[in-house]
Amino acid sequence: MNSLYDKVKKNLIWKSVFRRDYKDTVRNRAQAIFGNVFLHLHPVRVRESAVKLRFTWGMGGITLLSFIILTVTGIVLMFYYHPTVDLAFLDIKDLEYQVPYGVISRNLHRWAAHFMVIVVMIHMFRVFMTGSYKFPRQFNWGVGVILLVLTFLLSFTGYLLPWDQLGFWAITVGTNMGAATPLLGYQGPFSEYLHITPYNDIRFALLGGARVGGNALLRSYIWHCVALPLITIILMSVHFWRVRKDGGISRPQP
Amino acid sequence: MVAFPDPNLKQTRVKTIMNPFIEIITQPDNIAIVIMIFMVTFFMAWAFQQAFQNDRLKAAGMPVDGEHDQDVDTFRPLVRIELIISLVVMVFLTIWSIAVDAPLEEIANPTITPNPAKAPWYFLGLQELLVYFDPWLAGVVLPTLIVVGLIAIPYIDINPKGNGYYTFEERKYSIIIFSFGFFILWLLLIVIGVFFRGPGWLWYWPWQEWDHQRVVFEPTRDLTQLIGIESRSIPGFIIGAIVVIGYYVAGLIAPLRYWKKNNPELLAKLGMIRYYLIMFLFVTMMSVPIKMILRLVFLVKYVWITPWFNV
Amino acid sequence: MANENPHSSNYRAYLFAALSITLLALSAWVIWNDEFGLRPWKHYQKEYKSLKHDKLEKDYQQALQDFRRSGGARRLAMLEAQLAKAEEAFKQKGVHDRYVELNAQLDDLHAKMATNQKELQMTRGQFLETEYYFTKTQKPEYKKKMDELQRQIDTIDGKGKALLVKEEPIRQAIYKLTGGMTEIRAEIEAIRKSLEERKEKIANNDKAPIEIKQYLIKDTDKADRCVSCHAGIESNVQVSKKEPYTKHPLGFVYLGHHDPTKFGCTFCHRGQGRATTTIEKAHGNVKHWEEPMLKGNMTQTSCLNCHGDIKNLRGAEKIANDTELIRKYGCYSCHKIPGYEGMGDVGPELTNVGTKVNYSWAVRWLMDPKKYFSTARMPKFFFTKDQAEAIADYLFSMSGTTRHDVDYATATPNEQLVEQGKMLWSQARCNLCHMTNGKGGNHIKVYAPDLSKAGSKVNKTWLFNWIKDPNKYFPGTRMPRFRFTDQEINALVEYIVSEYQDDEAESAYTTPVQISAASIKKGKDLIQQYGCYGCHKIQGMEMVQVAPSLKSQGVTFLRSDEMREKIGTELSSIGSKPVDLLDFGKLKKSIPNDRLSYIKQKLRDPRGFRLGLRMPNFGLSEKEVNELAAVLYGFTDSNVPVRFLVPSRQELEKMAGVPGYKFTGDFAKVISDVKCTNCHTIKGIGADYAPDLSLAGSKLQESWIRSFLANPDVIRPLLQQMPKLGLTMGPKPAKITMPKFNLGVQKVEDTNRSDVDVVVNYFQQELVTPDIPKDLPVIADIVMPEQIAMGKKLYDQKGCVACHQIGADGGAVGPNLSNVGNRLRAGFIFKHLENSRKFKPDIVEPNYGFTERERIFLTNYLMTLKLTAK
Repeated sequence: MNSLYDKVKKNLIWKSVFRRDYKDTVRNRAQAIFGNVFLHLHPVRVRESAVKLRFTWGMGGITLLSFIILTVTGIVLMFYYHPTVDLAFLDIKDLEYQVPYGVISRNLHRWAAHFMVIVVMIHMFRVFMTGSYKFPRQFNWGVGVILLVLTFLLSFTGYLLPWDQLGFWAITVGTNMGAATPLLGYQGPFSEYLHITPYNDIRFALLGGARVGGNALLRSYIWHCVALPLITIILMSVHFWRVRKDGGISRPQP
Repeated sequence: MVAFPDPNLKQTRVKTIMNPFIEIITQPDNIAIVIMIFMVTFFMAWAFQQAFQNDRLKAAGMPVDGEHDQDVDTFRPLVRIELIISLVVMVFLTIWSIAVDAPLEEIANPTITPNPAKAPWYFLGLQELLVYFDPWLAGVVLPTLIVVGLIAIPYIDINPKGNGYYTFEERKYSIIIFSFGFFILWLLLIVIGVFFRGPGWLWYWPWQEWDHQRVVFEPTRDLTQLIGIESRSIPGFIIGAIVVIGYYVAGLIAPLRYWKKNNPELLAKLGMIRYYLIMFLFVTMMSVPIKMILRLVFLVKYVWITPWFNV
Repeated sequence: MANENPHSSNYRAYLFAALSITLLALSAWVIWNDEFGLRPWKHYQKEYKSLKHDKLEKDYQQALQDFRRSGGARRLAMLEAQLAKAEEAFKQKGVHDRYVELNAQLDDLHAKMATNQKELQMTRGQFLETEYYFTKTQKPEYKKKMDELQRQIDTIDGKGKALLVKEEPIRQAIYKLTGGMTEIRAEIEAIRKSLEERKEKIANNDKAPIEIKQYLIKDTDKADRCVSCHAGIESNVQVSKKEPYTKHPLGFVYLGHHDPTKFGCTFCHRGQGRATTTIEKAHGNVKHWEEPMLKGNMTQTSCLNCHGDIKNLRGAEKIANDTELIRKYGCYSCHKIPGYEGMGDVGPELTNVGTKVNYSWAVRWLMDPKKYFSTARMPKFFFTKDQAEAIADYLFSMSGTTRHDVDYATATPNEQLVEQGKMLWSQARCNLCHMTNGKGGNHIKVYAPDLSKAGSKVNKTWLFNWIKDPNKYFPGTRMPRFRFTDQEINALVEYIVSEYQDDEAESAYTTPVQISAASIKKGKDLIQQYGCYGCHKIQGMEMVQVAPSLKSQGVTFLRSDEMREKIGTELSSIGSKPVDLLDFGKLKKSIPNDRLSYIKQKLRDPRGFRLGLRMPNFGLSEKEVNELAAVLYGFTDSNVPVRFLVPSRQELEKMAGVPGYKFTGDFAKVISDVKCTNCHTIKGIGADYAPDLSLAGSKLQESWIRSFLANPDVIRPLLQQMPKLGLTMGPKPAKITMPKFNLGVQKVEDTNRSDVDVVVNYFQQELVTPDIPKDLPVIADIVMPEQIAMGKKLYDQKGCVACHQIGADGGAVGPNLSNVGNRLRAGFIFKHLENSRKFKPDIVEPNYGFTERERIFLTNYLMTLKLTAK
């Protein structure tokens, strides 16, 4: 038994992958963190109470987890989806009826999205209640607010993609508000001075047309699957980086 | 073995007449809001419970929760907890996904407008504001101010206390204002938009049946019409302008004078720019409930009518 | 216990482990569910496979048994013995050695041929290369080389041919040695094959993969996966009657004409073709899917999507029958319905109604027509007595009369006239169209008023004028003008008035009462509100109120012929109208919220949904409701690909620019008088109640036409709409006879010709086809009596007697042939025997494939069948 154990572990390949053994030493514990690209987000040592669930509620981490789940399921869904008026709805129907694990992928994607919105809002509430936006974390709070907006936008752009009545009208109602933007929306105040019509206003830019149609579907798709996730990932990196650099989870100063 | 339905059984469309309330809350997308209500309530209670506990400790001269704690290794305590929470979340989401199917309605049809046509649930607070404000305010200006205001919070809140622990006593005003905005103006309006708004965006109690033919006539007026002046006339315009601008001027000046007299140090610490920013955001935020009361109680539609926009 | 020391590797280990196992279990469930729970078709396909296996196995065993019983087994054993013997002989030393030797020779030859072939290829390659250089450079040395190579090629080719010649004798020698065995083996193989094939079928069935099966219809968004569960639907063999394994009912009609790979399932059946996870979803019985599956006869409603002509369409008998209801009730009068434009008024003209009927009767009728006659066609508008009187006042004032009644109940009728009238009544077969006391009449094909109570409704003067010339009172009526003398008409009027009295009739206005202007105004408003002008021509209503949608544009009055919008909702696409656009009103909770339920409820109780609706109640029976709903459900704007559409004959003619047929000359006058097209179709015009006369001139003999018109008698003992192939549920066969119109008695107006002459002339000039020869080809080599005898023999051989009657013998499906020699032209019989479907696509008569000579014999025989005058 022991010889097998040695054979597996004491060779070049194993050692090249795993830099340490599993013995519980201070050095190993530290190495577990900084030797691992994912755990490296964390400092090697943290304040004891920062580990307690009651303080952070784990909301930031849950948000990240939701985002990862959404990315994975989203990629699966993208394999089966064409962002065209003719095919979008039928593709979703096929996901439901035909594609292996299509139902569970779509359900997970939908519910994780709703869940992420809820969790992000609670995360913001927690950060406010512990005063964690105060010095030196003011900037990171601002990044967090933008990430909150991005979460809403990600969910909003995804709503249209099934091309059903629910999404279609939710997006119609949502973007109609854009038409009321002062100066830039054709129904907004002062827009007539800029010669704004339904065909050159901000809603037209959002939808790629004067009403929700094929272009809006394509734009939604690209925002939802490419542009917004990219921006979100960049800002998330900034957010996590600043958490570390601003001294980790905020705690009362002794 | 799974019991496959016998297709020879006569399949009839079973229509169960459900309680309208159960029908609404069991709509697939609305389950998320039910979950949100429970989660938000739970975490709100937990936050305030810890805040009051810390306040008691402070009052007794003792250190607050975590003030003197030691450092621990990240591996394993934190990593293990993170994994456990991840598992809990994944189990939860998997059960949710197995139990409830994502909704898919009829194919998009621009000629059939569902009544009510609702925005995604997290924007229903804004849609609810449409009852009280014109779209350019409810849909554009107010959301922009919300985002700007949120980002501005760290820079206008100069209270150094309560950094890194739950407390209420030390940050009374900021917590009250934030909670009012978060729970009442954001979450409560969402809940109202989801559960209490039916066809025609009319108010329906949970036990009421949605009625697509229902007509409700609300004789709304403009503010100046209350005192008998036509709101679309020059005097109406002037009075409206006085009311709106006066509201802002009074909201900005009155606290200034009060604090100058009673608490000049605070004002000095804030500085004038910060003071005006705080008061502008606060006064704007308070205009929402004020307008709601005007609309609901006094049936006032507009305060100020101009050729370009109405307030 | 969980370890509480956060540094320990066991920290919360149990919780961690428990959660991991939970997630694993959930994942397992997800996988299982995706593999089986969401794929019920796998179960059904397996079940079908096993059922089919059983069936094939049974067939195989049966065949095996038959094989044994029929002596096939003995024959096989014998052949096998023979084979063994032959093989034994073959194995003898000399024979076998010879065989080996020959085979060696053959192999040697083949090797040589292969070498030769290779040499040839190489030389040809060289030749082609040289040719390439030559064409490029034109150098003569290449040309020389080419010639050299060509010579080589010819030599090698010659050698190869010599080798090939040698092969055949060797093969023949080998065959001589083994020939007997090969033949026996082939026979054994053939005998075994019939059984092997069955076995192979079983093996193929067992090998068939369990998979999603679907019809993808190009250019549409259809992917019909119905066959994934309904595995046997396309099969010709019934594997199991149980759903979903059964085959398609009448598959040879429906699937035969609509290849499922091109048409799929859901064009006809609706439902959700893509869904495979549950029965409810697949059949479309779920929320957010508005097209539930159509089952059974109801599916015929989909025929309307593509087929312009439903009449005589095989497999569409029910829907064809149902569409008659639209015509009967005149739905198109108030609703726009495609294909029913310009159908004419469904109700009688009311311009002079005041001179026709009693005022009390009119009021009573307006209030509830169904109460007066249960078969009344006019719907109930729920008028109060005041309203009914106002409308009657308006109508009577427009006719220039007052509130007045004439009561004949007390008068004593002239017995002699009544007797004569009664005789005329039955001679003219009034009962064919008019119902009296619940008897006679045909309410679907030919609608005529019930006359049971006519005596208390109309006055004698009007009745006299009406029978004398119906067109005069109501141009476009379907009532024919019988050629009665005035005296005869008097007798008929006397008979009708005395015989058909209404015991419940009131006569409140035997002394006339003047009509008030206010009441007229009220009546006019009511007529406008309820759109009576939709069905009746009403004086003073040339200006009609417009549809509400136009009203908002400031238009208040339009002339009726300018009015594009009808009073009711357009029904062109009611069968695909989104359910959201249907107003269920207060019944939202009490009836299922789907389209079909809405349509049915609307037909049952048109004003039940909410207040303020105007549609009257037609008092439809539940059967009629279902039938009418089936038709309406078929009016869709479904996006059927153009290639599926089968336009009606009229549409085709319109597309081709062929003008619609019009009757010309004096015949047109006869038609408008006698209304032949009420029952007969002539050149596409008219009803299908009686035989199509489009080719009558080629078909019928003149003398027969004359005598028939003078005295019509039954030709066919049974109605044409016999159940065909068990598809229809047509009316019960009844004896139908043409009425006696007394033709030939009078001259056609403005001319000097008798109407029978006009008819016969027109038949011979117009209703003929060059396809039918006037006379029969003559066979010169056989004398006539012999030909007739041969024809008779054929008649007996082919079993014609099973359907046709001659004298007292024979069946009653086809026409009685006792007098066919007097009736039909020989040319027609001759052509008809060649291909009966050519002139009548839906005929039952089989095609026997007679030769031309046989047809001549038969025709000659049939032409001898003549009844001498009684």
